[in-house]
Amino acid sequence: MVAGPADPPISGNGDPISEEEALRRLRLSDDPSAQYYAAWWLGRNRSSHPDAVPLLQEALRQRRPRDAGAGVEENAVARNAARALGKLGGAAEAAIDDLLATLEDEDDGLREAAARSLGELKARRAVPALQRRLASGPAVAGAQRSGTPRLQEPCEALLEALGEIGEGSAEVVAVIEPFVQHERPLIRSAACRALLQLTQEPRWGEQLLALLQHQQLQVRRAALMDLGGAGWRPALPAIAATLAENSLKLIALRGLVENQDAGAPSQLDASTVAVLEAMDDLL
Amino acid sequence: MSPSQVAELVEAVRRADSALGLLQATQALAASAHPDGAACLVEILGFNNPGAAVAAVDGLVAIGTPAVETILSNIDGYNYGARAWAVRALAGIGDVRGLEVLEDALGKDIGPSVRRAAARGLGQLRLEALSAEERSASLSRCLAVLLDGCRDGEWVVRYAVIVGLEHLAKTWFTALQASDQSALRQALRQLQDNPEEEAAVVQLRAALALQRLEEAHG
Repeated sequence: MVAGPADPPISGNGDPISEEEALRRLRLSDDPSAQYYAAWWLGRNRSSHPDAVPLLQEALRQRRPRDAGAGVEENAVARNAARALGKLGGAAEAAIDDLLATLEDEDDGLREAAARSLGELKARRAVPALQRRLASGPAVAGAQRSGTPRLQEPCEALLEALGEIGEGSAEVVAVIEPFVQHERPLIRSAACRALLQLTQEPRWGEQLLALLQHQQLQVRRAALMDLGGAGWRPALPAIAATLAENSLKLIALRGLVENQDAGAPSQLDASTVAVLEAMDDLL
Repeated sequence: MSPSQVAELVEAVRRADSALGLLQATQALAASAHPDGAACLVEILGFNNPGAAVAAVDGLVAIGTPAVETILSNIDGYNYGARAWAVRALAGIGDVRGLEVLEDALGKDIGPSVRRAAARGLGQLRLEALSAEERSASLSRCLAVLLDGCRDGEWVVRYAVIVGLEHLAKTWFTALQASDQSALRQALRQLQDNPEEEAAVVQLRAALALQRLEEAHG
């Protein structure tokens, strides 16, 4: 969801190139800047070209020493490749083992990107590894590392992935629950989202509603995205009233419409129409 | 409210020396909804203070038609942020003199939130006072740019285009030429059925617009 701090920005739709050109650039293994952009492009445009997944798998295995002149730091290409794979749906099935291996990498930025993509791909096979990374709880996996604001594990991404995959065994729920008490509100938000997705218990949704009132805009934004991600419809009035940009509220409300169990979003029932009308008011 | 009271509110905006102070002074001026405040509210759109800009847009929409000339003559071709806020104000007011700016914004602006506001605005221009001929010409322009907007790359803009088309049809469907009526229906059907559409919410909104159109006009 969020670019790492060292990632060069890619604005809007970026440099308009063709799919062929993106694939060509991704093959340029001595030009990380070109590969970085190409990997992003293939994900953004949800490429279904048969070469896309194998090339991204290769890029994912690519680790390079820091080269300031190239403008792309260590592992940035691999990170973008991991993110792109998460957007390619069924075609990326073949890359799940690579993403699972990446989840064991020593670079936590790469683990973060891999976790998010495994979540997007709803990779059930990833549950034991995601669970294991979080099992030591907020005091260990969720502890801040010295000399950096980052945590020992990319907890937010790991929690979100477990929620997205949707396998809510008692064991998984027990691993997630302690993170609802984490000192950082963004981690609490991610934990509540996952628990809401896995258990459908309103108490987790209610905690997210409380975060919509948080004094920091960044927290309110995260809670908006998490309520949308969980598709929790009782949040509709609170989302519409949150002090944040309409663009984000629209994304959250889109989530309320689309993230429903088993194909429900194809119907125009009264509850769906109410969400659509709230969206109309925010345009 | 008397002109001298409005002048005091404008003076308070000029004196504001913090982001919060500017926001509060803008809110007070906006709440007056007095045409004398329009020039100052338009100026605030260029201050790069989003909170104050939101309040200024609300104030301009509350002033309505008397603010349009001031907004149009101060459109800043070089200040992207200010232009985006001006588009929102024009969309909210619905005066037909804003048509050209809204057309340009939906067709060319790089910011999805600006295109989104323009699409909504193009569906709710107030055309009642125009002659039949002028109205028909304005409607054709609105419809043409909304139909082009159906292919926008951002889901939220396509969504707003549907809402724009729905509003346009709600008020003016029978005033449209038969070929335009069928083009409008056809566009909504395509958005509803497009297998390439990534956002289910766009398809659903198109289905709702079609359902409402059929209820009203068969």
